[in-house]
Amino acid sequence: MSIAIRIKDLEWKYENTTEFALRGVNLEIEEGSFLGIVGANEHGKTSLVMAINGLIPQSYNGIYRGDVQVFGKSVRETDAVELASQVGLVFADPEAQFTAMTVEEELVFGLENLGLGLAEIRERLEWAAEVTMISELLDKSPYDVSGGQKQRVAIACVLAMNPPIIIMDEPTSMIDPLGKGLIFDILRKLKEAGDHTLIVIEHNVERLVPLADQMLLMWQGNIAKLAPTRQFFEDPSFLIERGVLTPEVSEFAEWLRLEGYLEEGTPLPLNLEDGVEITRQVLEARRARA
Amino acid sequence: MIATATTGVNAAPARVPKARKTLLGHVPIESPLYQFHPVTRLIMFIFFGVIPLFIYLPEVNFLLLWVNMGIMRWGRVNINELRKYMPVIFTVAFFMFIVVVLAPGEDPSYTPLDVGPITIYYQPVFFAFAAYWRLIAMLFGTILYFSTNRERDMLVAMRSLRLPFIASYVVGLSIRSAGMFLEDFRTIREAEQARGLDTKAMRLRDQVKLYMMYLVPLFSIALRRADEISNALFARGYTLTGRVGGGGKRADYIRAQYKLRTRDWVLIVSMGLIFVATAIVQMRFGVFSIEYSPLNIYLKQLLGIPG
Repeated sequence: MSIAIRIKDLEWKYENTTEFALRGVNLEIEEGSFLGIVGANEHGKTSLVMAINGLIPQSYNGIYRGDVQVFGKSVRETDAVELASQVGLVFADPEAQFTAMTVEEELVFGLENLGLGLAEIRERLEWAAEVTMISELLDKSPYDVSGGQKQRVAIACVLAMNPPIIIMDEPTSMIDPLGKGLIFDILRKLKEAGDHTLIVIEHNVERLVPLADQMLLMWQGNIAKLAPTRQFFEDPSFLIERGVLTPEVSEFAEWLRLEGYLEEGTPLPLNLEDGVEITRQVLEARRARA
Repeated sequence: MIATATTGVNAAPARVPKARKTLLGHVPIESPLYQFHPVTRLIMFIFFGVIPLFIYLPEVNFLLLWVNMGIMRWGRVNINELRKYMPVIFTVAFFMFIVVVLAPGEDPSYTPLDVGPITIYYQPVFFAFAAYWRLIAMLFGTILYFSTNRERDMLVAMRSLRLPFIASYVVGLSIRSAGMFLEDFRTIREAEQARGLDTKAMRLRDQVKLYMMYLVPLFSIALRRADEISNALFARGYTLTGRVGGGGKRADYIRAQYKLRTRDWVLIVSMGLIFVATAIVQMRFGVFSIEYSPLNIYLKQLLGIPG
């Protein structure tokens, strides 16, 4: 696998602030991988992804050191059109990214910026609307749909542009549980298709963990931990100290281990299915002993 | 097995909305006017907005108002909604007439009329009356347009008239900003009311102070939104120069969905001809001048005013 994103010694300080938001970040993200980013608020998660899509430093003033390369090209030397065709960013607040009067216009805006022809715009519009289940909303105003629908519209706008890298900044922060499920369904579909490098910032680790290949913890402007998902949660206290809760099913398994019901070295479950399986094994072992 | 129970009461049929909300009001979901291209509707708006400028006869402007109302009715606009414009209509009338009553100007040819304890002058009052109906005719032309056109239609029309994309886009963003500004204002007010603020119990002076105080959060929200929109435009590859990927010409997907048909051309040409004819007839022969107003002539005869 080739490297999609390479970040080298990245430091960033917004103007009129005293602290650096990013402090010497080094990171390589493989093409086609799914990276989950977690961390407490104000520890640099959003700054990191804005540096990947070039908003930092192109739209913000501040001190920038180091380099971010997307497919080998520095984002500082890449213009907005090219960056948008490489990196799509879904913001936490979907309304913040709406600029048009109908959902349909919202979707085609980016495609027109890419210089696509009408036939291809139509094709991509229909595809993105179908994947995100918003086909019936195309004629509506993006402000007149529900929170979950707004977020799906925002995702569709990025999907339609079909960038090889898609970043989502807390895509489920403002929506109800059912809406969250739909967003993670879309992420699952995208991962299964394998055509995109996916980077998702999310506090809801329960849903993120089953999808992520790797997890990254941001802490005080730097990467505190980067590991394959299962390894990432092996030291829950390290994460909890830094404001990240592990999946409840992992906590339950950790409790079983501490109580001696689970053998040391048993990999912690990360999703409900694994948790049920481990619990079943523990119960069977106890029954056998009895 | 899951038990089910019926109440014997039939559910009410689902309500089918007749109007669609826009940032500026409501437009009908379906309307015969939609068979016309947005640019035709924009030209109709300009036609009804500009033609009263050539017409001083209140009778004709009154007729234009009814034509507008007729088109609205045909276009399935909810006529009851027009009641919300009544305060504007009465306020305009009040201020126009109060000005000519209190400050009619000095002209020896004016005819004084004693109305109870005050003296009014016929000519400025009738002129204000004629000007009022011009304004109202123009206002109804505007109401017709915004009651039958969504923001999208306005943008399509502007782009069809070859307005640069960035200009139409700025107009769109401005319309959007106005709507969001009002929404933010409502949110702030509701937040204050939720914390027990009763504006109705306040004196007018305190209410004015309160409105001034709203400006601070509203401006800070507006600045934040401007920042967010700027980021959104960058993230979707928009540049101020309008340059598109590949260096080619920008496709306009939404505009491409609309086609100018024969009926559009017939209407545009008709409006153009009527407009030109009205302008010529007025400028050359003054046919629509106030002196030819039948009402003016009748009132003068009634009041014994010469000329």
